[in-house]
Amino acid sequence: MQKTKFSAVLATFVLCFAFWILLTWSFTLQELIAGAVVSLLVSLFAARFFIHVKAGWLVHPGRFFSCLLFWIFIFPVELIKANLNMAKICFGGCKAINPGIVKVPTAMKSDYGLAAVSNSITLTPGTITMETAEDEEGQNWLYVHWINVEETDPEKAGNAIKGTLEKGLRRVWE
Amino acid sequence: MILQIVCDVLFLISVVFALAGTLGIIKMPDTFSRMQASTCVSTLGVLGVIIGGILYAAIVMHSASTAIKIGVIGLMILVTNPIGSHVLARGAYKSGIRPEKPMETDDLGRDFDE
Repeated sequence: MQKTKFSAVLATFVLCFAFWILLTWSFTLQELIAGAVVSLLVSLFAARFFIHVKAGWLVHPGRFFSCLLFWIFIFPVELIKANLNMAKICFGGCKAINPGIVKVPTAMKSDYGLAAVSNSITLTPGTITMETAEDEEGQNWLYVHWINVEETDPEKAGNAIKGTLEKGLRRVWE
Repeated sequence: MILQIVCDVLFLISVVFALAGTLGIIKMPDTFSRMQASTCVSTLGVLGVIIGGILYAAIVMHSASTAIKIGVIGLMILVTNPIGSHVLARGAYKSGIRPEKPMETDDLGRDFDE
């Protein structure tokens, strides 16, 4: 078990406290103090499970704004496109499907980047990440269940599934 | 008045996508495809209601705390939902569930089964 870092505790504390304020939304002194005490206790216990790398990774103008750009503009567009596609298949009687599991390469190296890419893939209807694996050369692969397999070649399938998503996320985590 | 219409349109969009997802869950041929259809309900089917609810609470009801709580609910759904579907799909695959009609390609089975 690694030692708990101060920066990790601080970051977890800020997150817990912000969450407390969002949930209660009252600014009397008593509530704020109770929230601070509870958040401090929780962050002391939970920080080492919650943050494994540098805690201040997103406190960096470039990364922060790419992150905002991704979640506000790039991702919703992809989400709506995939949703329309899925709705078309469902209203058409679910006949136009061709399911399969394809293996696609990903450029992400860090755990957080991998988690972000695979969760974005799972969140868009039509694709679910089922497994990640690393080969001998250190290349990470994702196994993705795809409702309508258009490509079986790993590179091309990767571009079709997560081309835009990964381009947006690489600015944050690479 | 106009805001009321905007909220109603957002709710309607969500209802349409939720209906599509439900139809998909009933009519899709195998487990994994059904799971794919259910993602439709939990993304746009929820987001439309959440955004409409936030607008309604903030501008019609003038209640910031309600709006923020609705926003937190939406955020939690978006964060937890992909993890749930990933674990369900993977668990189903590992416990030996396969579609009746063979899949187009099955790289996971090729690489991990003997």
